[in-house]
Amino acid sequence: MSLVLDSIKISLGTVQLFKPLSLTAPPGSIVTIMGPSGCGKSTLLALICGMLDPGFSFSGTITLNGRPLNGIEMEHRKVGILFQDDLLFPHLDVFGNMAFGLPARMSRRQKRERVNNSLAAAGLEGFGARDIATLSGGQKARVSLLRALLAEPEAILLDEPFSKLDENLRGSIKQFVFDQIGLMNIPALMVTHDRSDSADGTYIELK
Amino acid sequence: MAEALFKIAVSAMSGRRNRLKIFPALTLAVFLLPILVGLLFTWAPAFGYLSAAGSNRFSLEPFATLLHHPSLPGALRSTIISGIGASLMSLGLALWIAATLYGSRLWSTIELSLAPLLSLPHAAFAIGFSFLIAPSGWLIRSVSPFPSGFTYPPDWTTNGDPWAISLTLTMLFKETPFLLLMIFSGLSRLDVRRTIWVGRSLGYHRLRIWTRLIIPQLYPMLRLPLLAVLAYSLSVVDLAYIIGPSLPPTLAVLIDRWFHDSDISSRFGGAAGALLLLLLTLAGIGSALALEYLISKIASRKILDGRRKSPFELLVGSGSFYALILLGVNVLSLTALMLWSVAHSWRFPYFFPARFSLSNWSAALRHLLEPVSVSALAAFLSCLLAIILVVGCFENEQNLARSRIDSISQRSLWIIYLPLLIPQISFLFGIQVLLIIFNLEGSWGSLIWIHLVFVLPYVFLTLANTYRSYDQRYSYVGTTLGARPVRSFFRVKLIMLTKPILFSMAVGFGVSIAQYLPTLYVGAGRFATITTETVSLASGSDRRVMAVYALSQFLLALTGFLTAIVLPAIMFRNRREMQN
Repeated sequence: MSLVLDSIKISLGTVQLFKPLSLTAPPGSIVTIMGPSGCGKSTLLALICGMLDPGFSFSGTITLNGRPLNGIEMEHRKVGILFQDDLLFPHLDVFGNMAFGLPARMSRRQKRERVNNSLAAAGLEGFGARDIATLSGGQKARVSLLRALLAEPEAILLDEPFSKLDENLRGSIKQFVFDQIGLMNIPALMVTHDRSDSADGTYIELK
Repeated sequence: MAEALFKIAVSAMSGRRNRLKIFPALTLAVFLLPILVGLLFTWAPAFGYLSAAGSNRFSLEPFATLLHHPSLPGALRSTIISGIGASLMSLGLALWIAATLYGSRLWSTIELSLAPLLSLPHAAFAIGFSFLIAPSGWLIRSVSPFPSGFTYPPDWTTNGDPWAISLTLTMLFKETPFLLLMIFSGLSRLDVRRTIWVGRSLGYHRLRIWTRLIIPQLYPMLRLPLLAVLAYSLSVVDLAYIIGPSLPPTLAVLIDRWFHDSDISSRFGGAAGALLLLLLTLAGIGSALALEYLISKIASRKILDGRRKSPFELLVGSGSFYALILLGVNVLSLTALMLWSVAHSWRFPYFFPARFSLSNWSAALRHLLEPVSVSALAAFLSCLLAIILVVGCFENEQNLARSRIDSISQRSLWIIYLPLLIPQISFLFGIQVLLIIFNLEGSWGSLIWIHLVFVLPYVFLTLANTYRSYDQRYSYVGTTLGARPVRSFFRVKLIMLTKPILFSMAVGFGVSIAQYLPTLYVGAGRFATITTETVSLASGSDRRVMAVYALSQFLLALTGFLTAIVLPAIMFRNRREMQN
């Protein structure tokens, strides 16, 4: 049960972005991919999600829990994503943002309960009705992760998730993210240009 | 340090504060005064007061005349079908194209073709479009004589049909590009790509992402443009003359005919009609807002139901089909205009003219000179005044409160849009009455002023974002280097903003060129512009002359846009950072 990349190559026209990449991210661990900006880190995440821009081409295979992802529509891949910007939807409150990821089969009451439990466990009890604009940077980052996890993805991708946070917040949010991913026991892939972001798991330099 | 520097710079510039304060007041006066006074002086005859007709007592007679007029039911029907139909369909089409095509190659093509599409004036497009759909038009020619069997144009009413379908389609094809432009500019303020990414990673189909995530954020920025389209479609006169129904015509045309009737007592019915059209437009705006409220209520109940799939998924492919029709109709209309303008003889059912010649152009050139120069001069002067007022307003705003700009601009947007939300014909007659009283009818001053009323909003709206996002520190640097604030404004800021300023002027220029009613009502027949001439020729029968005039109208508007592109490119040919 893991996320496996097998000899992934991405090219823009005739230019290959990085050397062929192979890796295995086991459940509950975080594989960090390092590299300077512009080396194709975010493009790699776009490929795994199925959001590769037209103009790029790729080869290699991606499998998640034994299921090949190549050619699968993004909305059926069950891959969550977290950006450096929280991308919380400004027209919904905290509850709305989090419930947006919950499946249709749940009743409104189940959803309410699920979101409240998740908020409480993250130290955000009673935040459900809050407008997104009133949250601090750290609170937004946490809600954003909780939203991604409530959709029960089978893997999660982190695109420089801490780079916009204040120095003094970064440590605690990082711990929060890593703990939550550990609890969910899903594979995670993080790209960053900041060595201090790296988790304890494997770490790969993208060349 | 930066903070201190900033304060010094601000205090150095504050000497201009008092002088700038005049701009918002002046701007408001320039376009609110004519509208308000015009409305009042149109309402007066609607209730029996018109000294020119020797009538000075209150009466409801004008309304009785209006309501019992045999043309009224048909006029209302055409007005409502074309007004409501065109605006709702334009919005639906524009949003559907955006939702299904966003990020595709066709989407970028649409973005590139918007500027030329929008520079094609309404009247010119309507004439070109009528060349396509007329019984002897290009569409029927393309299937004649084989397989249709027509060797003579069929006896159909395809343009000017009594149900106003051709008028509705004309406005649909003309307003959709405008709403698409508004969508492009709205989307540029949202992180659409990553919103779609997050939405899809949560399992949602792209159509659901648009209805639940993007449109709720986008719509507030489309509301006023949509209402402007609605008001325009309900009250348009020039298009309705060219391609609208005639017996009975739309309400706006009916009113215009009464206002121009040789029998002066018709003015009363016209004024009552103008008030009715205003009420109809306000009711339309009210219904649109109510509908929006209703939809948002229903949508907000469903937004969290978690349903990922959309029932319309199978129709996603139709987006490219509609977009190609939209682009195709515009390109074909323009092509038809060009062919007719150089056709010597082009008999039915031939697909191409049998003989080409430039004689249409050379014969018209003499007659074109005056209307083209009147149009160009009025457009240039009204744009120049508009840009001075608008820049003055922005400068005042900048000096007042940098942090409060957002809250100010949201409310002021409604005022800026006001001339676009009120039917022109519902206040132009009043202005005419007033100008006659002061003996100002037919003067250049009043012509430019009335154009300014409609040019100002567009100049303001196209310039607002770029102007407000100018990094004021450049000017402060200029000031700290020893330039007086005024000098630093003219030598640094205005130069750096040359491109957006010229572009907004080009938009205003195009708007002025396209004005029909204002020129007529204020000009006292003394000003023939390219647009008034084109519209009056459109009822004639010589397509070659119509095509020459319509193309001249287009070329004049295009000249404005080309100037706005070419001039900065030459000015800054050795400055790479000024190219984008």
